[in-house]
Amino acid sequence: MGAPLAIEAKSLHKTYGGLFGPRQRALAGLDLAVARGEAFGLIGPNGAGKTTFIKILLGIARPTTGEVKLLGGDPEAVETRRRVGYLPERLHLPHAWTPPAFLASVARLKGVAHPPRALLELLGRVGLADDAQRKIGGFSKGMRQRLGLAAALIGSPELLVLDEPTDGIDPLGRMEVRKLLMEELARGATLFLNSHLLAETERVCGRVGILSHGRVLREGRLEDLCQSSAYYRVRFAPGSDAVALEAAGFLPGREAGAWRCEADTPQKLNEALDRARRSGALLVEVAREEKDLEEVLQEAVRGASPAPPAREAAA
Amino acid sequence: MRTMLAVAADLIREATKRKWFLGLAIAITAVLVTLSLSLRMDVVDGALAATRLFGKLTRGPIQSVDVALRPVFMAVAAVVFYGGSVFGIIACADFAPTLLSPGRIEHLLALPVRRWQLLAGTFLGVLALSLAAALYGSGGLIVLLGVKTGLWTWRPLVAGLLSSVSFAAVYAAMLTASLYARSASVSAAIGFVVFISGIVSGFRYDLIPMFEPGVGRTLFTGYTMLFPRISALAGAAMDIAGYRPLQVHSLWSLLAGMLVFGGGVLTLGIWRFEQKDF
Repeated sequence: MGAPLAIEAKSLHKTYGGLFGPRQRALAGLDLAVARGEAFGLIGPNGAGKTTFIKILLGIARPTTGEVKLLGGDPEAVETRRRVGYLPERLHLPHAWTPPAFLASVARLKGVAHPPRALLELLGRVGLADDAQRKIGGFSKGMRQRLGLAAALIGSPELLVLDEPTDGIDPLGRMEVRKLLMEELARGATLFLNSHLLAETERVCGRVGILSHGRVLREGRLEDLCQSSAYYRVRFAPGSDAVALEAAGFLPGREAGAWRCEADTPQKLNEALDRARRSGALLVEVAREEKDLEEVLQEAVRGASPAPPAREAAA
Repeated sequence: MRTMLAVAADLIREATKRKWFLGLAIAITAVLVTLSLSLRMDVVDGALAATRLFGKLTRGPIQSVDVALRPVFMAVAAVVFYGGSVFGIIACADFAPTLLSPGRIEHLLALPVRRWQLLAGTFLGVLALSLAAALYGSGGLIVLLGVKTGLWTWRPLVAGLLSSVSFAAVYAAMLTASLYARSASVSAAIGFVVFISGIVSGFRYDLIPMFEPGVGRTLFTGYTMLFPRISALAGAAMDIAGYRPLQVHSLWSLLAGMLVFGGGVLTLGIWRFEQKDF
């Protein structure tokens, strides 16, 4: 039996519109499983269906067909949602309220005790302790985002669903948020992150899913996704004979002094290295070439084809 | 129930920060304070002998206090009923659209709150605001006139309650309209349509003879039957406030009409809300 799942989606389809307007497919058979206690990042181009998936996950929208489970239960069940913290992409906050008043309101609706000191501590965790008495209307985008994050953390939820959590936050603030998310992870919470900031996703998430045209194109551990299967990055000591290295099967790398070597087995890699050494080159460094998440995303999306027309999937 | 009350309390908290409601509270208070300082009423043996407003003697026959104050109470009931409803339609028009605004509704729906509780809580909050304003205005006047004349009556309070019942029916339609078109203007427009149609509906039997028998009369009768008889309830409120026998056949049937209309429209709203994707 596998680890208990925080999120489980099976053959999820979602089509908007119809009747009088055009039908628009947002999800086209999405399958995804996220284990409890892990940090999962969902990435993809605009219109890929990320926000729709999050909405279905939280019972804000309903799937056309398919099944979704949240913490093993129904996303629409009150008891399930009590265990979830959510930060929407564009959180609309009451302008005339102060942060503690807003957090107290969220705590009341969550059915969580909210002593003023605990709320102030929470504001301190997101870096808003000094602004506790200010009205939210005067907050910057980043400050609103921090307040939204504080609201998501109320009640120490088992699952945190964060839609663009660092949007509008300055680089130092992002580091603070990252630290906070790591603390939550260490506490045992599951993180489900949707972010356009790929570097952010890379730093926080252990597993990543790439969504495009309403389907998960690739999904797995970050190191597996970013690993290039056949290429190695090789560096030789200065003074190596470039012509001899090319003859030995090495390709010039992007940086000065760096070379690339295609080898699908360790034997082939060592044979190439032996040829280079025979030409007098001295090996300094060899490592499997890794792509960054941006490249992985590009590669995945480029190869993806749009889903078949909505009518077929809905049938 | 606790969740619903929490939603209602949040709405009231938000309303207290709005200029519309601060303005209403200030206006009612200003009228009461001005009257308390500038109105002098001389009562001798239960009769109102003289009334001075801003030091100027107002002419009128010497009457017993309760008779003399009847027109005042009736006028107040009318102002609270009609004026309160118009104010409420304008001031409360954007509560539901704000609740349903992108970024807020998603956040609320992700909380452990049932959809119907959100809508019912919003309705309850507006109802509480309407009651508070009606009772503050009517109650303030009762206290003011009671202190000055020694006449204490509950009647204007009942008239105030009836105005809130009527507004509840109007607001139910406004709330439901917001679920079909998230716009404060649409919500206010629907509120005014129901309010005016409800006034016309109250005079249905006086107006029907003006239509020739046939399609026009049938359509008019059918249309006005859809709406609660707001003007008839306003008349009843004024009758109660003014110690007059009720002109309407049955106050209970009027109230039942309000309940059926408001409850029906609110049920439609809740159904729509339950089905809707955000």
